[in-house]
Amino acid sequence: MPGVQATFACCDRCAHLGTDRPPALAGTGSAPTVARRRLLKAAVSRRIADDQTPPTAADADSEPTVMVSASSATASTPTSPAARRANTAPAGFADVAQQPRTVWGTVYDVSPHVLVIGDVGREQRFILTPDAVAWRGHQLEPAALGHGDNVVIRLHPGHRDVADRIWANIGRVTGVITERSGGTLTVDEGATRGPQVITLHPSAVGRIQVRFPTLEPGYLVDIIGLREGEELIGMIPATSQPGYPADSLPAAPLVSGRVPGTISGSAIWHEPRGEPPGVLGVDYPALDPETGCAEDAASGVREGFARLPYLAIGSVISMRNECTGLDCLVPVTGCASIARLFNDRCVTCGTSPRGRIADLTLASFVSLGGELERGCFNVTFTIGG
Amino acid sequence: MTVILHAIREVQIPLLAAMLLGACAAKLAQVLKAGKLSSAFGPTALFPANIRRPVAFGICVVEAALGLGLILTAGGTGGKVPAMAFRAGSCLFFIVATCALIELRASRPDVGCGCFGELSTSPVNFRTIARSALFAVAALVTITLGPIGRPPVKASAIAELLGILAAELLVIGALSPEIGEGLIRLGYSEPCELQIVPSGRTLAALHRSRQWRRHSRLITSAVPADIWRELCWRYVVYPASYDNRAADLVFAIFLKHRRPAIRAALVDAATGQPLPWPSTTTRRRLRRSAPAPLARLTEGLAASPATPVRADLPISTDV
Repeated sequence: MPGVQATFACCDRCAHLGTDRPPALAGTGSAPTVARRRLLKAAVSRRIADDQTPPTAADADSEPTVMVSASSATASTPTSPAARRANTAPAGFADVAQQPRTVWGTVYDVSPHVLVIGDVGREQRFILTPDAVAWRGHQLEPAALGHGDNVVIRLHPGHRDVADRIWANIGRVTGVITERSGGTLTVDEGATRGPQVITLHPSAVGRIQVRFPTLEPGYLVDIIGLREGEELIGMIPATSQPGYPADSLPAAPLVSGRVPGTISGSAIWHEPRGEPPGVLGVDYPALDPETGCAEDAASGVREGFARLPYLAIGSVISMRNECTGLDCLVPVTGCASIARLFNDRCVTCGTSPRGRIADLTLASFVSLGGELERGCFNVTFTIGG
Repeated sequence: MTVILHAIREVQIPLLAAMLLGACAAKLAQVLKAGKLSSAFGPTALFPANIRRPVAFGICVVEAALGLGLILTAGGTGGKVPAMAFRAGSCLFFIVATCALIELRASRPDVGCGCFGELSTSPVNFRTIARSALFAVAALVTITLGPIGRPPVKASAIAELLGILAAELLVIGALSPEIGEGLIRLGYSEPCELQIVPSGRTLAALHRSRQWRRHSRLITSAVPADIWRELCWRYVVYPASYDNRAADLVFAIFLKHRRPAIRAALVDAATGQPLPWPSTTTRRRLRRSAPAPLARLTEGLAASPATPVRADLPISTDV
């Protein structure tokens, strides 16, 4: 009879760490693993609907994607609760015909009416309408973008060749300050990401210090700015600094009875360091500790401020942006060990409950209607969709 | 009257010792639970961040020393001077604590006093300060007290002592926000979705189960190919063989300590399609429970009779 010992899976960014995990298990956060787990879970679950098309192996090899609800895709302003209730169209994964609304690339050429980006040896052209807005440290006309700028483009809903919103060279660093030298901060973002350097832009120092009064080692920082190679030029404080050092997280409130079916909080985004560009997924702050994630061990804090049910790589969460009304299914692709250290609120539309409950990939954040320079949106999620 | 006053003074020694040792024990319990002594709460917040932890440990050590000293010198062991020193030290400790709490309330109104570890997380208020001042006064009145002897074996004397003790405990309880927090924690049961459950325990439960005995002969490797958890369920996948084809044997185990619900499914490794159970297994199952739904068997599903019927079920992910 087989023995009882088990090997544990690792998260998606563990492969390069040189751990002693079996090579076959390193990098289990990859798309095939995510899809495979969904298949196996569906097989063992009794809740498989008879009328659903059975999953196939081809599905298991495809990249997990998200689909924005068509009924709410045109919403761009905060919706009323009544309107949200009325919007009952279920969120789901994208089918083959549907593509995410986000495009990446390097600016090849730009004119007042057309933006050309070159991405992996091919050019893509996007029409610039008078409503299109760009960001490169501050709002600017899209025509002011320069050759070589790395841009994230959100496409116009319904018009895949029209650019709706453009962010150029945007970056973000979230973590624990390990060193400060004048206006330069070295930040620890966890074991699976290298130390990050933030240089505060002289014009933004005052603004940042209002929101982050303690720029000292051991304290948390979350700054959005312009990416210049390995360095981030800090421009915008993404939140208000928690008053405690990172190793003194206040005790989480007790949760009695059953964990609620829907959980609200703050959703943020992270740069795709170590991830393939365009991955649609979410780093979740409460991966099962038994998983043995390298990121999990790195933070030294096992329970975040927001008490969330334990999940694993490949679990599926139905995310809803409460500010735009957009919702979709997003697979868990990593561990948000730093996000769990924050007990801040998102005030993009109303005031969210305390705690960061989702650290979305850049693509997911934009697809859900998030504005990157704002740093967060109020989110409600349901496990399993 | 003098006798009662003397009895009140005598009661203070064991009470103060119990409070000091209890506070130290609560902090040690926090260390054992979290692996470190939190420096986030209490007067340590008044110190620079880099010395908060040493200060927190220092407070814990002083509490233990004073508590033990009060007990050991209560009967006159070591003479009068050590007893007076420990009682005066306790008085000084509580005076400093009272002043620190007043300062803490003014400068960090959001921080708890940390007196009894993680039970003392509510912000410092008048009750917390008054309790510390009460202990300072209690220590002050014991400084000149002589050795404490055994109480006389008289019902009236014992009742008097117990009455004093009960009255003072009531006052202390009224001044302690930790009582409410402690009662909440006593009756608290963490939802299974938030409980940390070791994988070893889950696998042990699986290997004791009927589902395992029924299907484990299909398994080709002793080591699970994958194991993960969602909410209250842990999924374990073993490589298996079925009709000389590679397959995956998937178990879903409910995270409950005793007799957890367990489900199993056989899945084709290449196509991901659920497979029917091998005929021998099916026949055995049919013999045991004649009305078993054949449709489900053909889908490769099997369910434990103890399976919960509510939302604890694994959630289909609409692939």
